[in-house]
Amino acid sequence: MGYRVRLEMFEGPLDLLLYLIQVNEIDIYDIPIAKITEEYLACLASMQELDLEVAGEFLVLAATLIHIKSKMLIPAEEIAEEEVPEEDPRKELVERLLEYKRFKEAAMTLEEVESRQQLLYARPADPSVPVTDGRLEVSLSELLRAFAAIMERATAAAVLEITPEAISVGERMMALLDRLTLESPLPFTALFDGAGTRALLIATFLALLELLRRGLVRARQSDSDGEITIYRTMGRWEGGDGRPA
Amino acid sequence: MDDLPDRDPLAILEALLFLSEAPLPVERIEEILEGRSKEEITRLLSALQERCRQEDRGLWLAEVAGGYRLLTKPELAPWVQRLRGTKPAKLSRAALETLAIIAYKQPITKPEIEAIRGVMIDGVLKTLVDRDLIRILGRKAEVGRPILYGTNRAFLEYFGFKDLSELPTLKEIEALAPDTARIEARDEAVGETRKPDTIA
Repeated sequence: MGYRVRLEMFEGPLDLLLYLIQVNEIDIYDIPIAKITEEYLACLASMQELDLEVAGEFLVLAATLIHIKSKMLIPAEEIAEEEVPEEDPRKELVERLLEYKRFKEAAMTLEEVESRQQLLYARPADPSVPVTDGRLEVSLSELLRAFAAIMERATAAAVLEITPEAISVGERMMALLDRLTLESPLPFTALFDGAGTRALLIATFLALLELLRRGLVRARQSDSDGEITIYRTMGRWEGGDGRPA
Repeated sequence: MDDLPDRDPLAILEALLFLSEAPLPVERIEEILEGRSKEEITRLLSALQERCRQEDRGLWLAEVAGGYRLLTKPELAPWVQRLRGTKPAKLSRAALETLAIIAYKQPITKPEIEAIRGVMIDGVLKTLVDRDLIRILGRKAEVGRPILYGTNRAFLEYFGFKDLSELPTLKEIEALAPDTARIEARDEAVGETRKPDTIA
């Protein structure tokens, strides 16, 4: 081999194989399997340290190549006698390579688009000033659904609960508000971090609903199935001018 | 809504576009301006677009992800970058390959993407979710009910596409099989049917 390769240069085994095909000026529809297998294995062997997980992926393709090579060693007449329809053992590999190549090229095009696009700047999203947008507001049913998912996960742990402790929604409201003042915006699920018991989860949720009603926080969702994000509204509506949260 | 005094609609439009964090859909402009037809709004948008084209303006009006937004002109990027202090982070090649597969083949599951790329993609998928370029579309009705992924609106914004039909053409395999590619190109020219570029 007249060239040195390093595995990190490649996005995977198919990428390496495409490279070998290209540098050897091989017709992808008529790959000399014995030659390419030898080169491919030589590349793997030249790697001093192999990340085990990465190596596994490269070895799977090595096995495939060897399998194809062995199939091609069976004389054609033998196959004909058994009346098996003649199919090139390389066909499946070629199809995979072509499929991968198309997306590799698509990725390179996207990269060019990305570079051009990164010269254009738009107003950055300012989380402290939520712009009213019908589609981004979260409905009560969506909040309930998100909360149901959290409760479902908490069910198993709840059985262990022994010590009763007094929980007040008012306290939870203060705690949420304190946290959001420091860390706004927060994902909906993060509000329930550390709330181990069902009672605490429910109190936290009720506190959130109350805060939303009072307009102290707002909930937004980027699309109907997306994550719900909770924003602190900087007390601008504290006067309670009836704006729906 | 309250009665508003008459103001130049072009000025209002500019103000809305200036403030909007996301591309503003025509329907939303219609709601806000009240009483102006869609045609009228489209005319206003092109008028604004025309003004932006002047050399002494720093912004231009782009149509992207189902709406309109003001962007800085590309030739001004060096100065805007000085203001921002940092250059935007580029996606890795692994992320771009995965994103390309998702974009063209959505809805698609993780094992299906891995089969095409020949590598595991757990880390890359997480990056794409974190950067908010893909979303979960649902689950596939098969064993294990694997998650189906697709691109979202932020993906269109990131690449500046109006919608998915603007994805660049998936290059045919001309480089490796010039003859086949030519035949296909001829067929297409005769048929005159340009489908959006999805692949089977």
